[in-house]
Amino acid sequence: MSVAEKGLLERTKDTMTLNMGPQHPSTHGVFRVILEMDGEIIRSAEPDIGYLHTGIEKSGETKRYVHCIPMTDRLDYLNPPTNNLAFCLTTEKLLGLDVPPRAAYLRVIMSELNRIGSHLLWLGTHALDIGAMTVFLYAWREREMILDLNEMVSGVRMMTSYIRIGGVMRDSTPDWLKGVREFVDIFPEKIDEYEALLTKNPIWMDRTQGVGVISREQAIAYSMSGPCLRGSGVNWDFRKKRPYSRYSDFRFDVPVKYNGDVYDRYLVRVEEMRQSREIISQALKNLPQGPCKVEDNKISLPPRDTLHTSMEALIHHFKLVSEGIHVPPGETYVPLEGARGEVGFYIVSDGSNKPCRMKMRAPSFMAIPGMCKIMEGAFIADVVAIIGSVDIVMGEVDR
Amino acid sequence: MTSEEILQRVKSHRGESILQAEVALGDAVIHVGPDALHDTVKFLKDDPELSFDYLSHITGVDYLEQERDLRFESVYEFHSIAKNHSIRVRVALPEEKPAVPTISDLWPSAVFPERELFDMFGFHIEGLANLKRLLMPEEWEGHPLRKDYDLNWEDVAFTYNIDTKRELVKEKTLSRYKPGQD
Repeated sequence: MSVAEKGLLERTKDTMTLNMGPQHPSTHGVFRVILEMDGEIIRSAEPDIGYLHTGIEKSGETKRYVHCIPMTDRLDYLNPPTNNLAFCLTTEKLLGLDVPPRAAYLRVIMSELNRIGSHLLWLGTHALDIGAMTVFLYAWREREMILDLNEMVSGVRMMTSYIRIGGVMRDSTPDWLKGVREFVDIFPEKIDEYEALLTKNPIWMDRTQGVGVISREQAIAYSMSGPCLRGSGVNWDFRKKRPYSRYSDFRFDVPVKYNGDVYDRYLVRVEEMRQSREIISQALKNLPQGPCKVEDNKISLPPRDTLHTSMEALIHHFKLVSEGIHVPPGETYVPLEGARGEVGFYIVSDGSNKPCRMKMRAPSFMAIPGMCKIMEGAFIADVVAIIGSVDIVMGEVDR
Repeated sequence: MTSEEILQRVKSHRGESILQAEVALGDAVIHVGPDALHDTVKFLKDDPELSFDYLSHITGVDYLEQERDLRFESVYEFHSIAKNHSIRVRVALPEEKPAVPTISDLWPSAVFPERELFDMFGFHIEGLANLKRLLMPEEWEGHPLRKDYDLNWEDVAFTYNIDTKRELVKEKTLSRYKPGQD
């Protein structure tokens, strides 16, 4: 129950309109919210978005399927592999394609590594917003390891584009697998470090417990997803509910908390990092041998050295590079569990080599009205904590 | 429930308003007219067997230059948290005056995607109080995601002249992307 509802302060007619953003550091991007204030209490919050609109959905209609993948990186730029995966799985569903097991496992490892990376960035900046500086530095230290691993396997630190239609860009190297194993080995004690700084810290608890509460019913009605939904007591995770990319092979728990406040969303994300680490360690242990992309040369490029000896490979290479993949007509949507919630692409194909419509279901975009609902009745000082706990990324909000 | 069972149940209760029901690549899809949309989704939400309580997303599609009677389509995707199944509702809309009723009274989260439909496709959302542009500036002309809206870009409006040491304001120019040029 909010303070205003408890009747501690009577509603007055004198309200003040306060503009926050779009350049406020704690809104994590160019997000503007217009607050209707009654003293320190927020009566209503009106979001204003669109400052980062880049027209990616429109550009997608003029680009070939393969060319769309680097653009999906730029949507949720803190967790790019899940976006790649969402796009590729949807396209593969239209193509009726099944990727080899090794490719599926490498996709899982990349998605989970970057889920941890995204949660680490969230943890650091969220704690920094509330006033805990040290966690920020610790979280950055481990995120750096993940970015180095991204660079090792794909050549790029953030916008990896590692996951491609029909598999992954290239096979993992033994060095990379060793690096991932090292990360998996040291990570549990690092999480303990963050938790030692925050979880039982009385200042942190005072600042987050009972703040920004959203009930189970409202979280569903406002289409919140991911940790925001699970923090409010809804056991909903697409990795468990509709396993894609061989997630059914792994044993892991879906953390669910019931208070729906900032603290519970924090606990859910911290536990998710532990579970993601668990998934990565199982995937490393059981990583299947075999090809890392489909061997159909109408989908994936033939090996480079065959171009000099095989006419067929040369033709396939030429056709793929000059024309791209032709996707059969149809429309479909595949939901995935990203770091922020349900990520998915709704792709309409008209049979050509470019999507007729490419729409991204962005969890942050859908969460903003719910976030503004949470703000009603809260104190102005808690706005920063609430925005941080919902974890929006403006790249995917404005697309 | 499987997609076939979902369609069976929807058809047996709301058969008169369903124009077409199909299983497309494993997904349950129903086609309804704009008039029947609100009634149908209310049934989808309230029916205890189906209980589609979660709105995943709303989007629009422009089928210009494809063999279709109606040019536009508004697409709704619902999940059921309790039953773990999904359905897609497609509403075909005419080229002149595309209008759909709002479903924001059933799902408050529908406001943003519906405003986006208005912004990007120019659909009129009947009954939505706050119908204004969401992503584009308010004075923007045209609806960018329509197929007949060219993909264009603006040159930088300002440039700095080293010789005169002052800023020059350039004429606003639009460069056009010609569809088909690759």
